[in-house]
Order: sequence, then C-alpha cells, then structure tokens
Amino acid sequence: MELEKLFAFFGDLLAQIGLTGVALTVVVNVLVAAMLLGVLAVMALFLVWWERKVSAHIQDRLGPMRVGWHGSLQTLADGVKLLQKEDITPTNADRPVFFWAPVIVYSSCFMAYVTIPWGKGLIPADLNIGILYIIAITTFTVISLLMAGWGSNNKWALLGGMRSAAQIISYEVPLTLSILGVVMLAGSLSMQTIVAGQQEIWNWYIWRQPLGFLIYIIAATAEVNRTPFDLPEAEQELVAGFNVEYSGMKFAMFFLAEFLNMFTVSAIATTLFLGGWNGPILPSWMWFIGKTLAVVFVLMWIRWTYPRLRVDHLMEFAWKWLLPLAFLNLVLTGIGYELWQRIFG
Amino acid sequence: MSLFKKVIDGVYNLLLGLKVTSLRLPERAVTLQYPDERWEMPERSRGIVVLLSDKETGKLNCTACLLCQKACPTAAITIEREKGEDKKWHLTSFTVDNTICCFCGLCEEACNFSALKMATKYEFSVYDQSELVFDMKKLQELGRDVPYTPRPKKKKPVVKKPAPAEPAADEMKPKAEPEKETESKPEPEAETKPEAASGDLFDDAKKEPESNPESGAEPAQKENKPDSSEDKKPEAQE
Repeated sequence: MELEKLFAFFGDLLAQIGLTGVALTVVVNVLVAAMLLGVLAVMALFLVWWERKVSAHIQDRLGPMRVGWHGSLQTLADGVKLLQKEDITPTNADRPVFFWAPVIVYSSCFMAYVTIPWGKGLIPADLNIGILYIIAITTFTVISLLMAGWGSNNKWALLGGMRSAAQIISYEVPLTLSILGVVMLAGSLSMQTIVAGQQEIWNWYIWRQPLGFLIYIIAATAEVNRTPFDLPEAEQELVAGFNVEYSGMKFAMFFLAEFLNMFTVSAIATTLFLGGWNGPILPSWMWFIGKTLAVVFVLMWIRWTYPRLRVDHLMEFAWKWLLPLAFLNLVLTGIGYELWQRIFG
Repeated sequence: MSLFKKVIDGVYNLLLGLKVTSLRLPERAVTLQYPDERWEMPERSRGIVVLLSDKETGKLNCTACLLCQKACPTAAITIEREKGEDKKWHLTSFTVDNTICCFCGLCEEACNFSALKMATKYEFSVYDQSELVFDMKKLQELGRDVPYTPRPKKKKPVVKKPAPAEPAADEMKPKAEPEKETESKPEPEAETKPEAASGDLFDDAKKEPESNPESGAEPAQKENKPDSSEDKKPEAQE
C-alpha cells in the first residue's frame, strides 16, 4: 500500500514511453490534478454523509439509512438529483458574477491542495512558501462568497455575503498569527519541512503550541463558516445566506466546497500541529487521512454542540480575544524558543 | 479577577457541552424505520373500525341493533337492515365512511355484542376519497384476524327475552348498585366501597354472566362499559 512506489512506477512508465521535458511535466501534473479531483470529490461526498451521520447520532437519530449501506450512497444520490435540477438564474442577477462565484469557490478550495502533503513524498508541489500559499489561496473564498451575495441580487444573499466577508477577514488575522508560531519553530514555510520537524509524537507542534492550536481551530471553524460561526448562512435569519438563489449544480458546488474547505483546514491543522503524515506501521497517507478525519470529527462535534454566536459577539471575540491571544502566543513562542536555544542549544 | 473567573466558567461550560453531546453519540437511536418497522399497537388503540365475526361460524356478530349508528357523533356509520323470517333484524348493509370517522370509539363502547371494534390498523391511505367508504364485506375482511373476547352471555337467554326482559331491565336500573354490594360483600376486600372501585367492577365482570343474563337492552349497556374496559386490562398487561 505504499503509494509512493506506485507513483514511482507510473513515473518510470511515462519516461519509458518517451515523454521528456515539458511534455512529461504537463502530463504528470494533469494526472495528479485529475487524481486529486477524484479523491477530493469522493472525500466531499463522504464528509457530507459523515456529517449527517454524526449529527444524527448526537441527536439519537439514525440519519440517512436508505441508499446503500447505512445510507452511504445518499450524497451520491443527492448529487445526481442536483445535476438533474434546473439551473435557475434570477432575473435581475448580475449574470457573470453570479455564474463565476461557485466556480471560484470550488477552484480556490481545490487549489489549496497543491501544497498539502498527503504522505511521504506525496505532495503535488512542495513550494517553499507552502503555508503562505495556502493562506493566500483560501482567502479567495471571501471574494467568491461576496460575488455570490452580490450577484444574486437578493437581500438575504447580500447580507450573507457581507457577513461572510467581515467574518473571514476578521478571523484571518488570528488564524495567520497562530500559524506563525509553528512557522517560527519549524523555521520554514514549506509543508514538508514542517512535517519533517515532527517525527515522533512528542515532537508534534501541538505540545509546543497548545494555545496556537486552540486559536487555529477556533479561527478555522470561523473561516469555513461552520457553527458556531455560521452567520453567513444562518438559516433562521438569512434563509440560506449567500447561496440562497443558487440551485442545481451551482448549489452543489458551494455545498461541496464548504465540506472541502473543512477538510482543508483540518489537513492544515494535521500538518502543522499533529505531525502530518508521520506515524508508525501504517502507510503515511493513511496516517494523514486518519488524523485529518479526526480533526474533522472534532469540528463536526463542535458544530452539533454549540449554538450560533451573535454578530457583535463574533467580531468582539475575534478582535478582543483571539487577536491579543494570538499575539501573546507569538511573543511567548519567540521568548520560549530563544530561551530553549540559549539553555539547551 | 472576575474576568478570569468568567473565562474559566465559559471554557468549563463549553467543555461540559461537548461532554453532553459526546455521551449522546454512542447511544442507541430512537428512530423507528417506519415502513420497514412498525410499533406494535396496543390492543385497545383506536384504529380503523372493523366488523367482527364469530370465530366458529364465520358469521358477523352484528345484530343490527343500530346502537353504534346512534352513538356515532359524526354519522360515519350507516346501517341498513331488514326483518328476517325469524323476526330478528338482519344486516343488509353496514357502511363506515372513514372520511368523517373521528375514531372516538363510541361505537365500540355502544355495542353489546362484540360486533365491531376499533382495530389496531391505522394505515389506509388511498388515491381517491371514495375508496375510504368501507362496506360490510371490506369491514368483515378487515376484522377477520382481529382478536377479541366474545361476550359470554347472550346466546341462550335470547329466546326467553321478550317476556322477562322488560321487568328485568327495569329492575336492573335501580338495583344495579345494591346488587353489586350484596354480591361482593362476602369478599372482605371489596367491602370498602370507595377505594376499591376498580376491584368492585372487576368482581362484577366475573359475575356478570349470572347476574344479568337478560341484558340485551339498553340498561345492560351501561354496565358493559366498565365491564369491557376492565375485561381487557389484565390481558393487555400480560
């Protein structure tokens, strides 16, 4: 089950065919992209199903049970249904904006996977600015949500879009600052270098950055618009928020992107704080997916426990609590690292 | 200081919330997978009205006395009858309009002959309203497998009825209460009337076959009400 050997085999195969230079690069990249697309699509379907199951069992229900084993094919059936639905564009919508919003939201969350290390050597591109790239790319989500809210020409959608913009920009700050602690310790922005710094379980950055991890999880929950920070799509107030006017496959793209974003932030948490793909016995990619799903489960658990925050509380929490704490964490990390170097280094 | 206390309290309560939901997680779901599984309805649940037949002869128990029709508050029951050669009433049609039936169960209480019952069946959706008007055949079909305890009296005294029925019935009305007392006196438990209401009735139910064998007419109906309810309770509990 060592995937890297499999990939090496295919690489040799391509080389034997006679591909060289640019052609080889293009072919390999297209193949990797296609593979990622497939894996992520399956993962998104699985996450939707899992979320429904977790929520159901927390509420003593069963959740989907009809399609497939314990409803495991339910999301697939829903996807097929959404494909068949009419694609409605509101009369007074800003058409190009309305059309491109779901495309951008999906592609931005897909692009983040360029630098996510799935296993030992399993990374589409190990950029030396990896984590910075991810932060930059995932912020595209704000733009697309604003586009969706604006393009729909609908009060609820606009309110949802505005809220999401305010929320994501606010929480982006503590999120980035909490990541900086890890970057300081690792001394690198590259994802693989960060993972390589946490070989054993006691080397995981979560032990050296507990506050940073906490801030990251909270800010990431807000970043992906999940309860208790799901104001952009607060059903009781905004019907569905920014995606209220979307139907059919466009809605499905928003929906899947939402779950993929959740997977993305969990994958980043795994990489930065939980040792990435490091782990004994099992192949590295299994460790990565397992840890990531554990973080996803925590996010789901949080979602089905807490009520939604009020708008002013949301902002207050970000600027008055998380931001100072993140700064404090940064200062403590710097001082602690320096002291460690002086005493033991 | 109070700020720290607030923060600690808040974090503690957040963790408490997580604990509550995590304890719920492994618990068994209470969901009933409806079309695949169904609750077992209690015997006395008020579902659809059915006509009961004699288990041996297969004939309907109904004597066409019209009591149920009169008792029905929404006039959902329509009975047509004719006098046979044996000078008894015979059913020609018995229709229950389930579109107006309110499932109150008054017809079942009114009936003295275990002729109709509210069965446990509660699913009878149809595509057209008119299909909800059930005729005699359909009602008999529905009541075929419905378990019931037949009344243990009526058959023999029916012939003697005409002569002693009227005076007996008249006597019963005022004497119903004292009769109970006299009969139940030997038993020490039933002697204290006010608290042993249920015991009283239960005793009554046992003795009823002897005490009022002539009860074909209205007065007995009043006595049968508690009788029927107490009759079934022990079975249901078992």
